[in-house]
Amino acid sequence: MSVWGLLRALAVLWLLRQGLRLARALIVAAALVVLWPVTITAAIAMFAAWLRGWPPARLYRAAAWSTVMTAVYLITAALYGRGWRTVALAPVRDWQAASRLLEHASILHAALLMVPVAVPAGLVVGGLAWTWRINAISTGTAGLSPYAPAVFDARQWRRQVRAARGALAAPGTVPLVTGAGTVPVGPVIRAVARRWTPVLAIPAVSFTRHMVIVGSSGSGKTNLMIRLWAGWYAAAAQAARRGRPRPLLAALDCKGGPDARAKAARTRRVLHGVGARRVAIWPDEATVSLWDIPPRELAVLLHQMTEHGEGAAAYYADVSQAVLTMAVCAPGGPPRSAAGFLERLDPGWLAGAYADARPAEATALRAAGPHLGDIQLRYATLLNRLGPALDGPGNIGDADAWYFILEGTREPSVAEAQAMAITELIAHAATSRAAEPRAMLLAADDYSAVSRRVPLSNLYERGRSLGLGVMVSAQSWQGLGADDDERYRIAATADGGLWVMQTPYPEPLVQLAGTRRVLETAHKLIGATWGDEGTSRIQHAWTADPDLIRQLATGQACYIHRGTATYVQIARPRPSALPLPAARTPARPVIIPPARATGNGHPDHDPPTIPLPLAGLDDVLGPGAAP
Amino acid sequence: MNPFTALGLPARPDLTDDQVRGAWRTVAAQTHPDRADGGNPAAYAAATAAYAQLRTPWGRTEALADLTATTAIPPPGPVPPAPARAIWRTLAVLPARIRHGRPLRMAARAVIAAAVALTALTVIPGTASAPAIVAGAALWWALTARSDLAPPPGR
Repeated sequence: MSVWGLLRALAVLWLLRQGLRLARALIVAAALVVLWPVTITAAIAMFAAWLRGWPPARLYRAAAWSTVMTAVYLITAALYGRGWRTVALAPVRDWQAASRLLEHASILHAALLMVPVAVPAGLVVGGLAWTWRINAISTGTAGLSPYAPAVFDARQWRRQVRAARGALAAPGTVPLVTGAGTVPVGPVIRAVARRWTPVLAIPAVSFTRHMVIVGSSGSGKTNLMIRLWAGWYAAAAQAARRGRPRPLLAALDCKGGPDARAKAARTRRVLHGVGARRVAIWPDEATVSLWDIPPRELAVLLHQMTEHGEGAAAYYADVSQAVLTMAVCAPGGPPRSAAGFLERLDPGWLAGAYADARPAEATALRAAGPHLGDIQLRYATLLNRLGPALDGPGNIGDADAWYFILEGTREPSVAEAQAMAITELIAHAATSRAAEPRAMLLAADDYSAVSRRVPLSNLYERGRSLGLGVMVSAQSWQGLGADDDERYRIAATADGGLWVMQTPYPEPLVQLAGTRRVLETAHKLIGATWGDEGTSRIQHAWTADPDLIRQLATGQACYIHRGTATYVQIARPRPSALPLPAARTPARPVIIPPARATGNGHPDHDPPTIPLPLAGLDDVLGPGAAP
Repeated sequence: MNPFTALGLPARPDLTDDQVRGAWRTVAAQTHPDRADGGNPAAYAAATAAYAQLRTPWGRTEALADLTATTAIPPPGPVPPAPARAIWRTLAVLPARIRHGRPLRMAARAVIAAAVALTALTVIPGTASAPAIVAGAALWWALTARSDLAPPPGR
């Protein structure tokens, strides 16, 4: 073939290719014009999705709901004209009529005629087009510049956040619990590797596993925790009405301070709103008894509550443990109060209790004799520091919810000992065969403040073995444990999900969500501009984007669960404004008395001092008030 | 007797110590036996007893517990479902849910849906599209108005 012939062939090929491209564009344009009702609906749907940051799934859901309209349309068409052909051709007939009306500028008439068919079809087409657009932009095959994917993503995030915040304004969008027993948390901002739903709702079963919440101070952690507690309580109460065990929530606020009181009061208000009857705040208003713990466990606990040294001190620790075991497990039964326990750490008392002891016990008693005074002094000091709130007549099972305030910031060593005692009491309540079985959730807020002697992983594994749900929160990855090993043990076993709020170091947490495959496109640089050629390759990207998590605003969280990430705007926990119905049966009598002494010296711990009853009117309104 | 009623207070969990004390002082000033008119010893005694019960948050918790319905949680065991009663209960609280929700927005949505339906019935009467649009408008209203309702009690 000559050069001229080759050039001619190439020109023909080029013309053919362009002709085909033009023909395809013309066919598409013609289809768009002919199917004008669908085109207009699809364009409006896509524009709305772009403007509001909606995912395509939202358009598909709307399309699915609007098929009801199409069904009514087809049924009516069937009623008007008999035969399936009439029904099948009804949309075509209406389209012809609408097109004729359009020619006569009867726009409203034409549009209304086509609505039942055009809306669902247009929404589906709009959804498909929006999916294509998102993919094209995020893979770098569309957009005006290589920055387009980043710009598009940032803009859509802003719009998604705005839409989620807007959804919060509606009172019925995020109740504390749904009729199906799931716990809504807030409107979904963005769902990654997971099917999109308007509101993220956690199944109640997730609470029986374990949850971890990590978020800096001011990230909205408290709101999230109270919402989850109240939601779980409401869901468990619903289940209780169907014959399941009654719920019991135990929340440990391990930082303490005045904030803790405000948080406790708020938790109580919200829990009351979902039907909790008795919400006990420890140590300010209610007490528990350390001495309810079975003797063997009590002896071990009392031993663990004191600090032990190493080396030579270990010898004294063994002596102390032996004495404690003898005192607590004495033949007459365990002690019932701190005073009763201290009384037992006396050579005379122990000699009397073990008068008929076996030789080994008598020998142990003789050996421990010289140390008894020291041990008694040590435990008198410890129990005095712990305060009277662990020495009261109350019982964990007496309330529907407990809010334990531990002064972990002010008095870490006391708070640690209290945390040990309380977790032991909760474990006892969960396993006691004599007590009523309860669905229990143990939530520890900032447990790291007291976890030096009871590592968080112990609490976690204990809860797992006892069958009670555990929820722990920390301000950072580092706050979850003493070393990475422990931190991973806690985070990686959070079967109920991992809540990551704004935190400066989310990398180890986002690793648990894994990666997803994305298409990454590189553009070829021609001179100083990007050309239209380049390469694409499959890359792995974080399912939960650490940079996005670092930038989360207050009240936003990323819920990581089974390789998926859901960004959610947490709704402030507010129970229904509607009052609960009146009781049909009277409540049980009061069984938890208020704390009777000054607790840890915090002014809020002091019991009310208002004298009652008052003698005269002057006492009510001041001197001279009596007429 | 309901201690909240004795002090003229609403039975709410968010009452403060000051509110309770203020209510008691008001009732006591009106009913104290030291008053020139002899007061109302019975009412004073009831108010004093109520104050003794409600003066601490824990006491209020207890009193509220006596008034709320969660005692209705039955002992473990199968409970026969009562769908008719559940539907009736749902309908009974509907007016209150509307009142505590966003009634104006709901009404606005209803007006829009009615306007669309009316337009369809007026502009294209006798076509299959008209009843379909009416159904669509009603469905849109029902779906979107749900979020304007306050959650049912206890949720």
